[in-house]
Amino acid sequence: MSSARIQARGLTRQFGGGAGVAGIDLDVAAGQIHALVGLNGAGKTTLMRLLLGMLHPDSGTVRINDRPLNAADWAHVGHLVENPLAYGELDGRTNLMLAARLHGASSAQAALIVERVLAELNLTRYAGVRARRMSLGNRQRLGLAAALQHNPDVVVLDEPTNALDPAGVIMLREALVRRAAAGAGVLVSSHHLDEVARVAHRITVINAGRVIGTLDPHGVDIERSFFTLVHDDDTRHERSQP
Amino acid sequence: MTARTLATAIAVEGRKATASRVLTSTAILLMCGVAALAAATTAAAADGNEQLAAKLGPLAAEGGWPAMLNVATQVTAAAGLLAFGVGLSWMFGREFTDGTITGLFGLPVTRPTIASAKLIVFLLWACVASAGLTAAVALAAVAVTRQAPSPADWAGLGRLLALALMTAALAAPAAWAATVGRGLLPAIAAVVGLMAVTQIVVVAGAGGGWFPPAAPALWALLPDTVTAAQLMLAAVFPVAFGLLTLHTWRRLQLDR
Repeated sequence: MSSARIQARGLTRQFGGGAGVAGIDLDVAAGQIHALVGLNGAGKTTLMRLLLGMLHPDSGTVRINDRPLNAADWAHVGHLVENPLAYGELDGRTNLMLAARLHGASSAQAALIVERVLAELNLTRYAGVRARRMSLGNRQRLGLAAALQHNPDVVVLDEPTNALDPAGVIMLREALVRRAAAGAGVLVSSHHLDEVARVAHRITVINAGRVIGTLDPHGVDIERSFFTLVHDDDTRHERSQP
Repeated sequence: MTARTLATAIAVEGRKATASRVLTSTAILLMCGVAALAAATTAAAADGNEQLAAKLGPLAAEGGWPAMLNVATQVTAAAGLLAFGVGLSWMFGREFTDGTITGLFGLPVTRPTIASAKLIVFLLWACVASAGLTAAVALAAVAVTRQAPSPADWAGLGRLLALALMTAALAAPAAWAATVGRGLLPAIAAVVGLMAVTQIVVVAGAGGGWFPPAAPALWALLPDTVTAAQLMLAAVFPVAFGLLTLHTWRRLQLDR
């Protein structure tokens, strides 16, 4: 029995032109925020898609709460990958209600958790606004609310700070810290070491589809360490090319 | 798929459908469009437009209720496929064009369950639109002919309702095309292609009943020319594409 909320072993999925990920091992422990950092195109989104069953691996395995993906308990998973689950013709509250229902909540439960998350992410004044009328940042906040409202014990967020204002970033950071403290395993990706990556307990660096190392979240100059890791990996990779 | 998750998915898809301007406006356009076109054409033919009467054929040239029902049936066969195809294309294709498809992964309500709910909600919407279309044609016929329907006209209205429902089912390839093509446009293209081929087969005449998308229209216009076996084949066609769509949603990967 593993204590990892998410466990990936030897995860490989290759696309034409050399894109994809290869041989990824990853553990996201309960109670931890785990940041996945890498430059654009490093393979972060592909990895997250593999972890959530949006892509099938060429080889390797994924386990969620120690169960294979085809037997995972998805009611306790929350995710936001690329686009928020927000339908333009529906208002904020209705979008959240539908997301809660899809995560297994009854109508009565959904009504309660939606009111709670509206307050938590400061979305109450947008509850009656159609999603298509919201700013990009508020739509992102709505998508994050849909991913977090049912208090999942596995959270996967791809570039969650995209379009968020500084207040939104702080709100998200606090929401993630609360969920990790309650025992959730949180995986967040970022293409730079933003505020969310800075609250991580672990930082894994991915480059050219491979895990190339880790960073100390409490390090003095983690940006420099990050670029050194990536540069060294790129240099090694170039030298190994015929 | 359990009864509970299917009920949840139907509730979710139903809420999306009732808020949709695309579905509402498409249904209204279909109902009013078919009734208005049938009324205008019948009135013009009754006023002695010989060219139009010749184009509409002998039944339409009779005028009155038979003419109204004949024109409405012809228009429904083509316009209905387009309208129901647009509705179904939107229901499936919008998840890809809006990017919401990523949120439909990793849920206790599985993707085949969501796709099943979409098909069920589509059929419910099609029932309402078909009933509205039939009622609109009946009202227009009363207004144009100033006559109540005879028993034969009631039978014609029944066939019109059945044709509209069968046409809605025949739009099923749109759901599959939207999934495979990851959007609205491939599905609309599939519907337009299906319409074009159906028209060619109907115009060609002989054996048209064996082409599933053409059989309901031929049956509604000339009931004696289409066999029960041909209608059964027409029923298998949407079921096959419905099952293919569920299978495609089950195997779906976001690899493009």
